[in-house]
Amino acid sequence: MDITQNSVDQQHDLTQHYEVLLELGDCYSSVGNYTQAQQYYEKAAVLAPDEAGPYVGLGVIDLQKNLTEDAEIAFKVACRLDVNCAKAYAGLGLVAQQRAEYKQAFEMYLKCLELDTDNLIALLGLFQTSCQMGSFTKVTYYLEVYLNMHPGDISVMFPLAALYMKDGRFEESKKVLLDILSLDKNHRDAVNLLEEVEHSLAQTKQAGF
Amino acid sequence: MTENYEKITGPVVSVLIPTFNRPQYLSQALASALQQSYRNLQVIVINDGGKDVSAIVNSFHDPRILFINRKENRGKARSLNEALNRAEGKYIAYLDDDDLYYPNHIETLVNALEYKTDCQVAYSDFYKAYCKVWSDGSRQVLSKVVEVSRDFNRFFMLFFNHVLHVCLMHRRDLIEKTGPYNEQLNVFIDWDMTRRLLFFSDFQHVCEITGEYYHPMGECDRISVQRRKDKNEYLRNVLAIRTTRPPKPWAKVEDMSIIFTTEQLDKQAGKTIGSIWHHTFFPYKLHLPLPESDLHRLNTDMPNLFLVPVNPLSSEAQRIDAVLERCDSKYIGIVPSGFPISDIWIESPLYALINNSVAHQGFEPEGSTDRLWAAVVKKDDLQFARSRFPSLPVRESLKAAGIALRQPAFEEFPFQFDNLLQKAQLAEKDGDWQQAAQMFEYIAEHHQNELWMKRLAANALFKAGDHTRAAELSHKINQHRPTVNTLLLEAKVKREKKNFNSAIELLKTAEKILKGPLLDLSDYYSLSRAQVSENE
Repeated sequence: MDITQNSVDQQHDLTQHYEVLLELGDCYSSVGNYTQAQQYYEKAAVLAPDEAGPYVGLGVIDLQKNLTEDAEIAFKVACRLDVNCAKAYAGLGLVAQQRAEYKQAFEMYLKCLELDTDNLIALLGLFQTSCQMGSFTKVTYYLEVYLNMHPGDISVMFPLAALYMKDGRFEESKKVLLDILSLDKNHRDAVNLLEEVEHSLAQTKQAGF
Repeated sequence: MTENYEKITGPVVSVLIPTFNRPQYLSQALASALQQSYRNLQVIVINDGGKDVSAIVNSFHDPRILFINRKENRGKARSLNEALNRAEGKYIAYLDDDDLYYPNHIETLVNALEYKTDCQVAYSDFYKAYCKVWSDGSRQVLSKVVEVSRDFNRFFMLFFNHVLHVCLMHRRDLIEKTGPYNEQLNVFIDWDMTRRLLFFSDFQHVCEITGEYYHPMGECDRISVQRRKDKNEYLRNVLAIRTTRPPKPWAKVEDMSIIFTTEQLDKQAGKTIGSIWHHTFFPYKLHLPLPESDLHRLNTDMPNLFLVPVNPLSSEAQRIDAVLERCDSKYIGIVPSGFPISDIWIESPLYALINNSVAHQGFEPEGSTDRLWAAVVKKDDLQFARSRFPSLPVRESLKAAGIALRQPAFEEFPFQFDNLLQKAQLAEKDGDWQQAAQMFEYIAEHHQNELWMKRLAANALFKAGDHTRAAELSHKINQHRPTVNTLLLEAKVKREKKNFNSAIELLKTAEKILKGPLLDLSDYYSLSRAQVSENE
């Protein structure tokens, strides 16, 4: 037993100041105070120049201000600093989507989801760009993965039900829609889609499938 | 809360600031001492033969400063002794030239010593500030953590230090009892002094953060850290400290005598004596009852040896009786030659004996057998047994006198807190955050050191994904004593719950702590910085 080692914590947290500044940036950004948010992100970037976080924050602010070019630069810097920065790819996806470059947006969202299947922005972005392009193959998979980890997230359940419906997977669509309605019985879109699904199911049965 | 007393007429506190070749930080340190809310100070700056800092010291124009500008480098212990000789305060406080007091430091400790306790020593908590040092010497703080906030534990302090000197204040007259700083030591001169202080007083732990000390990232320039890297020197210093016995009477420590028994002074006996020296940290005297011829052959530097000449034909019991006649210790350890000795070998049974409420009990150390029998007993019990049954061997006489002997149970061992802490930290290391959190909470509830353990529990809970509980615990700590760590944790959870304004408020407090008190050291600081630049 070497109890002399116990006199200090073994793990030294050296990112505290950076984390405080970044959190302040995120909070100010969330309440719409972009001037303060920007100041804190810039301070965080000075303190930890190798961290991607502040650049993601700055990119988000630029997006809010419709400065897509500046946003793109910020997200690219973040990607360069951290090739595994999922949020930066989601940001680049948003930039591309705003420019109606759906293929590029789709790729960025996909890259983000490969790194973080939890990223809701990328997930919904992927769904929206898929709708624009009419290709849904990969979207269904990521929506399912996300829902496995976050069962009950209606914002994702509904697009998944819609995709099942579109793919002719009516039973699965119906099940998801019933789940949505058990969570929120007033979900109008779910009620409407369920009507459509049940109609399609009836037609399928009638046709003898 | 501050007591209602006239600060200027309170007792004088002497603040000792030894400095050596760190002029770039001295002005901040000195300013933090002079800007204390408690004004009745004598601030003694002593230059240990380093770069000239007269201009910096003089720039403060403060009559409370006493500057000793020694030209030769004689070491920190010598500097502190010189400063102590000139100190006039009722109390002594310490500040390194690169550390900082917060403005309430002296007031907090004087308040504790004057009004809240009978202790003659008190200490507070300090932030350890991890920082990046730029080429111009300026420091960029990365984190501030109260790494240790440990309640006073005499047994632990005998083993190793747990109170930083910069956090400490004690009565000056205690130095008359402890003696001055040991100038033969290279490292741990602070532990040597705190260890000696504990013989005469309990320490009051004031759970407030009243300053910060700096830890540069990468290679640390602190002399004490550099010197600890030499393992032989480290061991020499530790042994010197652990065998130091300040002059008696001791108000707070009872002495122990270890009686070493052997048929002959051979190689094995020498080895056992050496092991006792290396592995015993509780204050002791080692009694060697040996024939004159063996005593003459004895060649050792071991301190605290008491040689007791005995008849070469005397039995083991008679030799122990010979020691008993002369020794005044409350506790007696008996150990034969060849006994297996490792760390806390005798302290475990001794700790059990000290804390045992049942009378007439003795404890045997681990490894004690019929052939190699060892024990720790109260001297009174042993004397009683020997006087009643002088013809029996010692062990049998104890039994006959009704002194029960056994090995201590696990829960009677010392360092229960440290054992549990180590296990919790192991769980952390293995990534079992839930288990670690449970253990930290258990320790907080059952083994003191509450704030320290709760902070670790909050951190572990957050990492385990139990953000709600982490926030609750952090909130409780922040209400009592906010730290950067717990403020950040609570803020993160507030943000997750989209309670942004509350999160911002918490984060702003954390940011203020991280920025530190430098903003308040305005005039003194800029003036002294100018002087530093001029000198450089």
